[in-house]
Amino acid sequence: MSASTETGSPAGKTWKSKEEFLGCVILTDWILLVILFAVLLGSFHIHYMLLAGDWDFWIDFKDRRMWPTVTPIVAMCFAAAAQSFFWTRFRLPIGATTVVLALLIGEWINRYDNFWGWTFFPINLVFPSALVPMGFWLDIVLMISGSWLVTALLGGLGWGLLFYPINWPVLAQYHQATEIDGVLLTLADLIGFNYVRTGTPEYIRMVERGTLRTFGKDVVPVAAFFSGFISMLVYFLWWNMGKWFSTTKYIEIEEV
Amino acid sequence: MMNQTTQKAVSAAQAGETDTIVNYKPAYITMGVMLVFYVGIRIYEQYFGWKAGLDSFAPEFQTYWMNLMWTELPLEFIAFCAIGGYLWKTRDRNIDAVAPREEMRRILTLIGWLAVYAFSVYWGASYFTEQDGTWHQTVIRDTDFTPSHILEFYLSYPIYIICGWGAFMYAHTRIPQFAKRISLAFLMFFAGPFMIFPNIGLNEWGHTFWFMEELFTAPLHWGFVFFGWFALAVFGVARQVLDRVIELSKEYEKDALAL
Repeated sequence: MSASTETGSPAGKTWKSKEEFLGCVILTDWILLVILFAVLLGSFHIHYMLLAGDWDFWIDFKDRRMWPTVTPIVAMCFAAAAQSFFWTRFRLPIGATTVVLALLIGEWINRYDNFWGWTFFPINLVFPSALVPMGFWLDIVLMISGSWLVTALLGGLGWGLLFYPINWPVLAQYHQATEIDGVLLTLADLIGFNYVRTGTPEYIRMVERGTLRTFGKDVVPVAAFFSGFISMLVYFLWWNMGKWFSTTKYIEIEEV
Repeated sequence: MMNQTTQKAVSAAQAGETDTIVNYKPAYITMGVMLVFYVGIRIYEQYFGWKAGLDSFAPEFQTYWMNLMWTELPLEFIAFCAIGGYLWKTRDRNIDAVAPREEMRRILTLIGWLAVYAFSVYWGASYFTEQDGTWHQTVIRDTDFTPSHILEFYLSYPIYIICGWGAFMYAHTRIPQFAKRISLAFLMFFAGPFMIFPNIGLNEWGHTFWFMEELFTAPLHWGFVFFGWFALAVFGVARQVLDRVIELSKEYEKDALAL
């Protein structure tokens, strides 16, 4: 087939008119944004659910130690990569907020339609962690500083520290203590025990245990600070991952 | 007279049709069909998952689930070969002679392909993958071919692979910048998520040794994560496409910047 034809536009020109150009470009920009959003949603979601999913799926996994440590670190990867692309190439400080919004849309659809709709878990057992304020924070730091180094250090630390407080308004009620048959447990634990899953047994559940508990009320700040520290390092790595995946290199066909 | 008028109208319509620079209607229709299809699949799953999907040794499991899998896999293989074969067979053999307007038209068609690919990636990587987590943590599996796997691994993943393959082949056979050389970003954008499918071999091989369904974050699942990262190469593809659009639209650069 030889379809190299041209009709209707001046010889050698791409566009017939300015109006055609502007209309097409605006529409196509929107479609490209939707493409980016959908792809980021899919890839971020599979990354997040398979690295931090259990802590995000179940209210009885949302503890004071592992959940605030693992979740921000895992979420930072795509936030940094998206910031790298949107900021470096377009000066748009929207990368972090965009990806966490995409993730949360995918998660909420799933929790309602599948966790509740197919396997009949109540929503208050399976709602996802809040991340959007952390996305705002990271984007605002980048916008104001204009520096990925400052964003890694200040934004990364804040990313880890913010996670627990922004989730606390929803979570607090489930951390109320209760006593069942002489056993002291949280309301979250009680809900979890009433909906048995493969992740229910205590020897499987990765929640706070060990000597850190002896610090009592200090568990969360320590975990959050540690999470912020690792988030800084992850930011450095994934900013560069985002740059690497933005490559415009070509390979010669003979090399493939 | 009547005949002449009709002929003129047909010619005008044809001219208008060939001169349309952008037409996303096929992409919208494809995504609409995909949406309806997946909603239908979800309803099937809701009903037959619980009714016939709990015991893989039961005859009804064979009827409602294994038959579905043995139907979908050959169809997907045929679709993969047919799309690739058609696009290759009808490739532009005179790629150096593509006029700017025609090149732009093809780039915009490619964006339609990418939209369909992105939509299918959402269904595969997000919707059906997390769904698999809740099903397997609820219903203890006794086979590798569970209801959620039959729809996730062997339906939604092949569908996004077919869409990505179509986009890649369309670009490679019709758009000069992608035809003469292989775009590294485009290759990763297609091949990374594609590799998630062969990774099912590792996953199921591992599951036959270790139960490993207690935690969805089990290390056995991390192969999916690694290959999922490659979808980030959409950044590079977007840049390459936009760079070429800018090159082809130099005359209106100021108008674009004024938007």
